[in-house]
Amino acid sequence: MTVAVRSRSTVDRRAAGFGVAAVVVLLVLVYLGSGGLRWFDAALAGYLIGVLMAVFAVVYRYLVWLQRPPTARLNRRGWEAFRRKGRVGHNAVGLAGLVATNLLAQGFIRHRSAARWAAHQLVFWGCLLAAAVTFPLTFGWVHFESVGQEASQYQAYLFGVGTGTFSATSALGFVIFHLLNISAFLVIAGVLVFLYRRTRDPGALAVERSGDFVALAGLFAVSITGLFLTASTLWLQGRYYSFLTNLHALTVILGLLYIPFGKLFHIFQRPANLGVHFYRDEGASGPQQRCRECDRPYASAIQVADLEDVLPMVGFDFRDGAGGNWQEVCPSCRRKLVTAAQVARVGGFG
Amino acid sequence: MANPLIAGKMFVIDQSRCIGCEACVQACEECGTHRGQSLIHLEFIDRGATTQTAPMVCMHCEDPTCAEVCPADAIKQNEDGVVQSALKPRCIGCSNCVLACPFGVPKYFALPDQMMKCDMCYDRSSVGLKPMCASVCPSQALWFGTPEEFDATRRGELVFEFRFGNQLVPTKLATVVDHRDDGPIDVLAEAPKRWQDDPFGLEEDAP
Repeated sequence: MTVAVRSRSTVDRRAAGFGVAAVVVLLVLVYLGSGGLRWFDAALAGYLIGVLMAVFAVVYRYLVWLQRPPTARLNRRGWEAFRRKGRVGHNAVGLAGLVATNLLAQGFIRHRSAARWAAHQLVFWGCLLAAAVTFPLTFGWVHFESVGQEASQYQAYLFGVGTGTFSATSALGFVIFHLLNISAFLVIAGVLVFLYRRTRDPGALAVERSGDFVALAGLFAVSITGLFLTASTLWLQGRYYSFLTNLHALTVILGLLYIPFGKLFHIFQRPANLGVHFYRDEGASGPQQRCRECDRPYASAIQVADLEDVLPMVGFDFRDGAGGNWQEVCPSCRRKLVTAAQVARVGGFG
Repeated sequence: MANPLIAGKMFVIDQSRCIGCEACVQACEECGTHRGQSLIHLEFIDRGATTQTAPMVCMHCEDPTCAEVCPADAIKQNEDGVVQSALKPRCIGCSNCVLACPFGVPKYFALPDQMMKCDMCYDRSSVGLKPMCASVCPSQALWFGTPEEFDATRRGELVFEFRFGNQLVPTKLATVVDHRDDGPIDVLAEAPKRWQDDPFGLEEDAP
């Protein structure tokens, strides 16, 4: 007997659709920004393909992630709180502050460990600097031309519009031409601090996973192979340059493909923390949930209600059959009641 | 039932034996995975009514509520069934886990803006060493050892399941009861109420 099995696709069509749309939008922007590919550097085409694949996968994973019931609820609540009537102006100012303190300065990491914060800042700013240089170059949005017949004078063009000129031999020229080297040093310094922590800290050693090292190895590989290119130019008369270019491109493209799947996806998840801040403010200004046992407020009513909604969606039912819900007992009373129930099972109350 | 063993040993919590000495609270701070922060809970149930105290470590649920309600996928169960502290890059500090955990285990820390919870001192327990709290508990309310050691030195039977209303929660940690056959510990049904009852009538006289 044969049983007809209909295979169900596990591909999320909506997320894939948005992923493709994001890729198309980027391609259009590349076409327009590079003056119809006039300033597009064909040597960087491999990087562009890597970016396009990463963009698709990041959008796809992000949208699938947003579908998890607790994530979907928090996403909705965060935006609702942000757009609350009469609060938008206040929240927009608050958002700017949060972006500065939370996403850029990352003060919260300093409260975990100063070394971790320093390492994270080095890697963060190094990567940001590198992205600010390489993405526009790859997309053909930025290119350089020499000024007239003067080979030492360069002019940077942004979207085909000429901007400032600088001398290749000036200090400014040196910095501009070495921006990627600077970013590589920042990243490598950060990676070494992270690596030192990971290999020396017994607590970190116990809970770390291979993924923690993959991210560090990737960042290191991208940075060091980039520096190899400069070393080849400056000190080896360009020997091995084409091999090193391919090696660097390989590490970068693998790195781009790793972003959506590995530890670095937190770059896109972390901003949800800003939504949490607005959700929290909203909860604090509204009614508070009081504990069914001790009558003390212990959380915002909105968050407890959200959890009571979300829990059944993820397979939990903490209702007691008498109209109550274990979620309406504060965590402190939960702990006490668990003990009280256990004590009752060993012959009485102390 | 979840596999109770880790490196051949199991964690048994017998709250009734707790004497409230707080040695575990101090020792917890020494854990390598969250140095300087004590993650264990120790509650005084009602000092006017009883000397009973309530210690609480993570029970390491087979299907952890905290992980299921985490919007950031930050809480993972490892290959030993140990529910780990929030992954630092992922935790967005929403406190869903703090509020949803049926045992009231996770703690939210405002300055680092993240949740931390008991991970059974994974740096120690994964290699067969006692978690910090169990290593100092003088009354063996918090106990870590092999099943044979338990049988040889302790009374009571082990249960690995709790009930909270409609929800059955199987755990990796064991709790001690007189008779396992009476089923899971049904928290709502079995917890006596009188410890909340103002035993000396003080509040009734208050204006």
